[in-house]
Amino acid sequence: MPTDLGGGAKLFVESSHVLPVVSIVVVLRSGAAHDPPGKEGLSRATARMLRRGCVGMSAMDVERTIDRLGSEIGSEVASSSTAIAGQVLVRNLDAFVDLLARMLAEPSFDDDELGRLLRETHAELLESLDNDRALADRFFRKKLFGDHAYGRTTRGTAASVAEIDGNAVRAHHRAHYVRGNAIVAIAGDITAEKAETVARKLLSALPDLPYVESGLEDPPPLPGRHLVFVDKPERSQTQILIGSLGTSAHDLDHVPLVVANAIFGGTFTSRLTREVRGKRGWSYGASSRMGVDKKRHSFVMWTFPAQGDAAPCAALELELLDKLVTTGVTDREVRFIQKYLTRSWAFEVDTANKRVHQAVDVEVLELPSDYYSAHLANVAAVTAESASLAVRTRVDPKNLVVTVVGTAKTTLDAIKAAIPSLESTEIVPYDAEAK
Amino acid sequence: MAESMTRAVEKANAKAIEGLGDAGKLHYETSVRFGAAANVHVLVMDNGLRILMMIDRSAPVVAYATWYRVGSRHEKAGKTGLAHLFEHLMFNETEHLKAGEFDRKLEEAGAESNAATWLDWTYYYEAVPKDRIGLVIELEADRMAHLVLRDAQVTSEKEVVANERRYRVDDDVEGLASELLYRTAFERHNYGWPTIGWMEDIQGFVPSDCESFYRTFYAPNNATVVVVGDVREVDVLVRLRKAYGALPRADIPDEDTHPEPPQTEERVVVLRKPTATEKVIIGYHGPALADPDHAPLAVLQEILLGGRASRGYRALLIDKELATDLRGWASTFRDPGLFEVYLTARPGKTKDELLAAFDREIVRLNDELVTQDELQCAKARLELGGLQSLDTASGKAEQIGFYDTVVGDPAGAFRRLEAYRRVTGGDVRRVARRFLVTRSRTIIHVVPETNEVAA
Repeated sequence: MPTDLGGGAKLFVESSHVLPVVSIVVVLRSGAAHDPPGKEGLSRATARMLRRGCVGMSAMDVERTIDRLGSEIGSEVASSSTAIAGQVLVRNLDAFVDLLARMLAEPSFDDDELGRLLRETHAELLESLDNDRALADRFFRKKLFGDHAYGRTTRGTAASVAEIDGNAVRAHHRAHYVRGNAIVAIAGDITAEKAETVARKLLSALPDLPYVESGLEDPPPLPGRHLVFVDKPERSQTQILIGSLGTSAHDLDHVPLVVANAIFGGTFTSRLTREVRGKRGWSYGASSRMGVDKKRHSFVMWTFPAQGDAAPCAALELELLDKLVTTGVTDREVRFIQKYLTRSWAFEVDTANKRVHQAVDVEVLELPSDYYSAHLANVAAVTAESASLAVRTRVDPKNLVVTVVGTAKTTLDAIKAAIPSLESTEIVPYDAEAK
Repeated sequence: MAESMTRAVEKANAKAIEGLGDAGKLHYETSVRFGAAANVHVLVMDNGLRILMMIDRSAPVVAYATWYRVGSRHEKAGKTGLAHLFEHLMFNETEHLKAGEFDRKLEEAGAESNAATWLDWTYYYEAVPKDRIGLVIELEADRMAHLVLRDAQVTSEKEVVANERRYRVDDDVEGLASELLYRTAFERHNYGWPTIGWMEDIQGFVPSDCESFYRTFYAPNNATVVVVGDVREVDVLVRLRKAYGALPRADIPDEDTHPEPPQTEERVVVLRKPTATEKVIIGYHGPALADPDHAPLAVLQEILLGGRASRGYRALLIDKELATDLRGWASTFRDPGLFEVYLTARPGKTKDELLAAFDREIVRLNDELVTQDELQCAKARLELGGLQSLDTASGKAEQIGFYDTVVGDPAGAFRRLEAYRRVTGGDVRRVARRFLVTRSRTIIHVVPETNEVAA
């Protein structure tokens, strides 16, 4: 059970004295979904500015202190959350908490530092073009979710980052770095009593303002089959993502779909891995996953075959998906995966950090309160019928987004031919968002 | 703790195991302190199998790792990538299991499993709920001696590895540059070829290559088993005897590796790729992991490149805004490796600008003592990083196996932390002068295809 810190803030603690290290995460229930249109990347820029100076300390003072204490601090912005996470040698805990509290509540937001950060961000956007997997993911989400917050980039684009200024960052901080929006999670070599003292100190200077609603709705479905071909020169290989909307964690068939997905592409012996990698050797990896967030998220298959195998690989994936939807899963498959999911649970909870993050996920992503605690029972209750029905209900092979990163002149025509009933095809230069 | 282990060994040896007779007897060698509260027990089986065991009751799981003392350094020219391909093949059929059964059994037990191959070693690991340890021991012992290598599996796995190579190297600018760095820096030593292998070598393997490799290197006397977790010692030891006791030793061939001759002039190679900005990858010839100067070099690396307060970060990213990213690493190999530096230029900035700024920092390290504050920061960062790697049973098993395999010390992770604490400013300056020498470095200059390159 969390500790109520007042004003809507909560604390989760998991003590473990295995290592002389303490992990602290302050999570805000605001993320990239709150970025104003045209200023994508604002949440991320604000979070990154926290370590670039605070009252009485320059950016370099902050950095030196982090190092001197044997600590690290990072920030991660997702659609629905912003996490400021740190780890420190336990002997330096108090000094670390002092630093983190100042960073959270009293950042300087110096204009020169912000200018430097934005120039860095622009350069990083260019650099990220080297990562084909990230390119595939970005354009897949953009097409699948469209204008919905899940389709927007947390990092921003060259154009949106250029629109961010000091006023926007300060306004974002004032609105979102507030007690009602904050959850603190502490794990490691610390008692529950000490953790509460630490958490209260961390939030002591944050304004006593309420949680900021995002107004997030379920993303709208995208009818038909759509191909987005991200054209990049000299690829010997492709990155292929094929998928659709998935479920919300609140759907009654959510866990049955989790089970079906594990059978289909969630393990090394799953159907997808066996057919694509095991039998044909077409891709080093072949898997499928379901995204979980506040609202309905995605179901997606991932493979990365050589250019020459890309079209047959995509065709095979569609065929396997069709078969999953039309004939469902078998009793034998369900019994097998239930054993896997149940026994491997030990590795979801084998460290204090993992346990405390489950509690935070439930809170931040507004998951059912027993999402993790009832997981094993929920998995055990799934039958072949319920898993097959969940697939038929949630995944329609007629409505799919296919994203391919590859070299269009050698691969595009074959890919198009391999995907029947395409409603649209877009060819996007790989650097479209970085210019 | 040592006493309880010796008693466990006696009990395990006294246990009558059908068909084993006196084979597979265990010998307790020593116990080594691992941090403040744990011990690694070192045992050897009659057939040469080395066993490292640590009891860890922090979670109801057990990690099991098998380290083979064979890596890409043991390959021959024209057969590069064989150790890595073989790692893939180890997940296939055995005399007792059909293809795919190995993974199915592990998944059914809820296991996490994977494997890795590098220059000096190959290792396989599983982590399972503690009541499934018996299954893992049986599976690992089985594939150590009873693997079946068929043409269809070798052909399919070669395709998988070729795709892995495309993913990690051919379509990855940094992967390709790193491969080129080692190829250029090592002209004689086998560290010059990539662990994943050259594409033409991967595609040329036949089952007999794999069979020969297996019979040569996969044997109990070329392996170390690491067990970390919530287990009962005697129970594990009896299972180990039963599973491995009858496996015969192999004649492990003497290694045929040439030391790398000293590099006497700087080597620069230009690589043109479709990438947004210039990149500079530098490799200085560095020490082996067991060299006493390795720990001071790791401290130097932190001062120069570790984090945003480091000298390199301030000079290249903050003050002059020349770079987007910079990183470094003192390679942790059995033989002398490289001190690697990765610099990524901002748009419009060039290799020469990056290198000039970087070299100024190298000159400072050669000429001046680093400050006590810099030393303290670097040591604290290294201490945190070292502890973070020990969070899980798998993490501990990996550290124990790695240090035992590379430097012969299962508690090497803690020995490193002690060594870091002893490093002085003079040590840092000495290793800068010893290793960060222009004539012994190799530079890979990555150029966007559209750019002109200055001569």
